[in-house]
This record gives sequence, C-alpha cells and structure tokens, in this order.
Amino acid sequence: MKTLVLPKEHLDFFASVLQQFGEVHGPVAQGDHFVFRRLRRWSEIRLDYPRTLLPPKKYVLPPRECLFHYRPKDGYVPDTTGLDRRVVLFGVHACDIYGINILDQVFAGRYPDPYYQARRRNLAIIGIDCTPDEHCFCRSMRADFVSQGFDLFLQDLGDRYLTFVGTALGDDMVLATGGLFRAVTREDIEEYKERSAVRRQAFVLDPEIRDLPEIFEMEYQNELWEELGAKCVSCGACSTVCPTCYCYDVSDDVALGTLEGLRSRTWDSCLFAGHAVVAGGENFRGSRASRVKFRFYHKQRGFVTEYGRPGCVGCGRCLEVCPAGIDIVKIIDRLREVHHAAAS
Amino acid sequence: MKTGSRILIIDDDQDFVQALATLLERDGHSVLTAHNGREGVLRARREPPDLILLDVMMDERTEGFFVAQELRRIPELAHVPIFIVSAVYSEQPSMRVAPDRAWLGHDAFYRKPIDPDALLAGIRAALAAHPGAAPRGATP
Repeated sequence: MKTLVLPKEHLDFFASVLQQFGEVHGPVAQGDHFVFRRLRRWSEIRLDYPRTLLPPKKYVLPPRECLFHYRPKDGYVPDTTGLDRRVVLFGVHACDIYGINILDQVFAGRYPDPYYQARRRNLAIIGIDCTPDEHCFCRSMRADFVSQGFDLFLQDLGDRYLTFVGTALGDDMVLATGGLFRAVTREDIEEYKERSAVRRQAFVLDPEIRDLPEIFEMEYQNELWEELGAKCVSCGACSTVCPTCYCYDVSDDVALGTLEGLRSRTWDSCLFAGHAVVAGGENFRGSRASRVKFRFYHKQRGFVTEYGRPGCVGCGRCLEVCPAGIDIVKIIDRLREVHHAAAS
Repeated sequence: MKTGSRILIIDDDQDFVQALATLLERDGHSVLTAHNGREGVLRARREPPDLILLDVMMDERTEGFFVAQELRRIPELAHVPIFIVSAVYSEQPSMRVAPDRAWLGHDAFYRKPIDPDALLAGIRAALAAHPGAAPRGATP
C-alpha cells in the first residue's frame, strides 16, 4: 500500500481540492451529538469526534428511498434520484469502514442491489484514526484497523498525517493536490508505531470473541435471553444506529382513485413487534425475548457462518443509545461466564 | 457592452468591497455585498446576481473554495459566472494547487491587488458571453 505524509497545515487546502471528487461531507457537531453531513466550510468538521449518531450506512442505504414509480402508461420506472451524487466522506473511523465493507458483502454479493451499488460507487471514503472511549470495543471485533474499503486513510502523527492510499481514486486525490503530500521518513514510521501502541492500550472494553460462535451455539436456551426480553422495549434504536444492520421494509404508496403509485423501502428493525409477521398474521418472533435473541444471534453467530466474521464492529453506538441499558459487551462477558461455569 | 447587471461581491474586507462597489457602479452595474460565505450564499439565493466576485480567505482561509462549490450546487445559480478575487496564492505559499476549474468551478481568477481595468474588462466579457445575465438597465 502506498503511504505518504500530509502536513496538518495543508488539511484545509486538501479538503478544498477534494471537492472535485464530490460533495465533501464529514463529522460535525449537532447538539450533544455528531453527525455526518455536507461541510459548508472546513472549520465545521470535528475530527476529534468519538462516534456519530448514525453510521455512514445512511449514504449507501438511506433511511427511506423510493425504488420505482408505476403507472399504467409507463409501467415500472426506476427512481434514480440521487444515485449519481458523488460524495467524499471525510473522517470515517476504521470500525465504520468495516461496517461499510460488511454491507458491501451483503448488497453486492449473492443478491446485488443496484441502488446500493450505485451509491457505493459514488462514495469516496477518507478514513481517520481515533482514540477509543468507554464504549469502544472495535479492537475485540478486529475492526480497529482496516486495510481496505477506504480511498485514503489518515493516521494522526501530531502535526501531520501518515496517509495510506487504498485505491486508484485515492491516488488521484493525492495527485490532484499537486504536492501537498510528501514521502514517508523513518521518523514518521517510528512515530506511527509509538502512537499505535498507545492507542492499543487505551481500550477500556476488550471482550474476548474468539469462541463466541461456539458459546452462542451452546447457550441458545439460556435464561439470559428471557431476562433481556423483559428489559428490551423493542424501540429499534440499536439497529437504527448499527453500521451493519440492513433490514428494510418495502411498501407501496398508491394514489387514491388511480392505478399509479410508488414503491419505497425504509429501514426496519428485527426488534420491532411486526418484523417477523407473515401473511395470515403468524408472527415467528412474537415475544421480545425471541427478537432480542435473534438480533444477537444474527450479529454474532449468523454473520460468522455467512461472511466469516461477526456482524458487529464494536463501534459502541448500541451501548450508548439503548434506553434500557442493554450492553452487548456485558452480555458477551456474562454468556461466557455462564457457559464456562456450567462446563467446569 | 452589457451594463446594468447585478453583481454580488462576497469579501470580508469592507474597504475593498467599498472601493470595488464604487468602481462597478461607475461602470453601470448595481452591486450587492456580503462579508462572509454564508451571508453571500443567502444573498445570492434571495437576489440571484448576474455575476459573483468571491474572495477566498474570509472567516477562514479556504472559505471561498467551499462557497464556490456551494454556489455551483444551487440550480438557479449554477450558471452564474464566479470570479475569484483573492490573495490566497500569494499569501499562502503552502496552497500549491492551481485554481483549476475542475475543482473550483470558477470562471476567472484575479489576484489581489487587482488591476481595475482588467477586472472590468473581464466582467464585461463574461456578462456579454453569458446568456443568463440579462441586462436590467437602470433599476427603478
């Protein structure tokens, strides 16, 4: 991977030039939170943000999107609004890039989704490193460092960024800046190693996940799931803020008195009471406990079977937003404790 | 020569704005002013100008670069000629990227201190060439 150095004093100029590759978006403060949105001026960006309220999945899978219109005269007409909008998302953490990589597998894999793919093609990602806070456990989830899924990735070295070039587009971005970057020196590498070691030590949460699929397999009937079901309020906040939750619902809006309408999809959540209702009214996951359990099993067990790694990236958003205080890290620790206690 | 056009100056240097406004008014144009990027975009939306003179270093040193892009995204302003009038390249040697239209989307670049005759000639040429810049004549 090509590696260069960008002095911080050039960062605003670099971001200005990036506009030729699309609208420049980044993390900005909004009330007590941070959100990704388009920058109207460079100083709006907050590269010290812990995490955004919503992950970057909103750029590739919007909360609501129209898929197509239908009219007797025209048949089905795909809605391509916004699919060609080019966005440069600046300042994405490694865990969120992992989230996008997982979504890429889901939406570009066995069942390619043209809407997702069009948006993804037009999304450039400039990653940036971060300092973990009390909710982060990306290191456990092997998502604290990414080697793909970004065009450029900036590692903070104090007065400069060590910059990994991930794609040809990233290389084009560097070339477009006409000399703002410089070559890497031995000092840069030593500084990077030192800072990486400090960052590794900064993680407060560090749940062990190595044998998690096996534990989940064995603890399917554990009483913990009923206990969690009693706590969960089925609000769906955890899946809304999750970088890898991709469930959606599809609905038709038909204009009254006509044969015209549109079909749209909106984010759904497996925590919602009606998520598993099928025609005839049968609900396969009618109890809250079964829904909570499903969500954990899909993330930590189902994803491993399907994609070779858990669906969780350890971003800590669900810990932060759950109104019932359901904490995945504590659940993992407790499940392991129960499992090994029973075995001993 | 096309005169009587509405020109928006976005620049935080109030003395420069005043001098430039006088120059433009003498040349038959009406002038709108704004002293930072946000104000400039709002003004342009409310009263779409025929041409925009935009500074770069205002509240922050890359402000004009972002404003130019924002103006280009507003459909009713997308074709309004933008002249960047700035000292950024002489005052900020670390900005090594030329003001290429591919990224900045501007129509002309004038270094400060400006040559008034050259700027006026450029404005006249742009207004004459630009079909959207309809002459208003003397605004009542």
